[in-house]
Amino acid sequence: MDLLKSMKISSSGLRANLKRTEAINSNIANAQTTRTAEGGPYRRKQVVFGSEPARDSFSEVLEGEIDAQAQTVHATEVISDNKPPILKYDPTHPDANKDGYVAMPNINVMVEMADLLTAQRAYEANLKSLKVTKSMAQKALELGR
Amino acid sequence: MAINTVGQMSQTLKGYNVDNWSKSIELGNKMDFRGEFPELSEGSESSMSFGEFLTSSIAKVNGLQQDANVAMEKLASGESKNLHETLLAVERADIAFKQMNQIRLKVIDAYKEIMKMQI
Amino acid sequence: MDVNDKTLQALAAATKFREMRQEIITSNIANADVPGYKAKRLDFEKALARALDVDGELTMKVDDTKHFNVGGGGFQNLQPELYEDPNGVVSENGNTVDVQDEMTMQAENKIMYDALVQLMNKKLGLMKYVIGSER
Repeated sequence: MDLLKSMKISSSGLRANLKRTEAINSNIANAQTTRTAEGGPYRRKQVVFGSEPARDSFSEVLEGEIDAQAQTVHATEVISDNKPPILKYDPTHPDANKDGYVAMPNINVMVEMADLLTAQRAYEANLKSLKVTKSMAQKALELGR
Repeated sequence: MAINTVGQMSQTLKGYNVDNWSKSIELGNKMDFRGEFPELSEGSESSMSFGEFLTSSIAKVNGLQQDANVAMEKLASGESKNLHETLLAVERADIAFKQMNQIRLKVIDAYKEIMKMQI
Repeated sequence: MDVNDKTLQALAAATKFREMRQEIITSNIANADVPGYKAKRLDFEKALARALDVDGELTMKVDDTKHFNVGGGGFQNLQPELYEDPNGVVSENGNTVDVQDEMTMQAENKIMYDALVQLMNKKLGLMKYVIGSER
């Protein structure tokens, strides 16, 4: 039971970091997008992580076992940045307003790349954890062989 | 007189010949090899009976098993971090035990062999 | 050689605790970026050492069978200690997990776990050998 729960926790970490990578990729790809469905330039997306106690089944939820246990992680929300867009002077742009300024997304590609590296490291760490847990379970299966 | 060299041996043999066998017994006493094998003459084991010898061996094997058990318990509780020493102790106890078991089987075989003999 | 002997029970208990520790370490790694999450630790060494009492020093000696041996006792009710690490370095979002530390602890835990399983196998193998060597 304990090892399978560990694997569930690791996989939740993988999933959360994957969501974070998706958001970062979206930011990088849309760094120059001035036109979106909601109107206005693209807004930088950010993922917020939250913890939740690792639950095996609904019965555990009913028992209310919460305190200080192993926690799974969730990408709880994807929020859009509220910072104002950068105004760039470019009168020839089709989306320029009457003063000749274009509203560009407030995305710094360098920052996004750094975040991408962080997400990748976290993903690898979770993957390594998963492999270790799997190896421990396999070793236990060999008992008595 | 202990015989340590070939020269000493040939000197001793000079005085004797094959026909005089009673003299040969003297020769046997003269040839003293005990200096070469001290444990045969001094060891307290040679004065132990076979039963005592067996019991002490079994006690030694059991002692090794106990040592291995203690080492494993210390490793499990984190008291000792000596992985190689623990594994070594376990291996020694293992080998000693299996050796004793093989001896036991051999003794049983020998006994059966003897019992098969027609009088 | 007893099938229920103390050493085998100790090895089994230690294995179980190391699995629990792996769970906590995995949780720490997965939550390494969650704001406000504090790294957790699982300790079982003291409880196990007391139950084992290898040198005969940690439990009280009893003369009468009616007296209770406080502190000694079986391996059934061993409780590990689960707590938040008080020495964690707090980063700006309130998280105290150091992923490098956790990976190191995970590696050590795994090595010890493998060693324990191997020792159990050795013990069981010896018992099976004895049973199978009759002629």
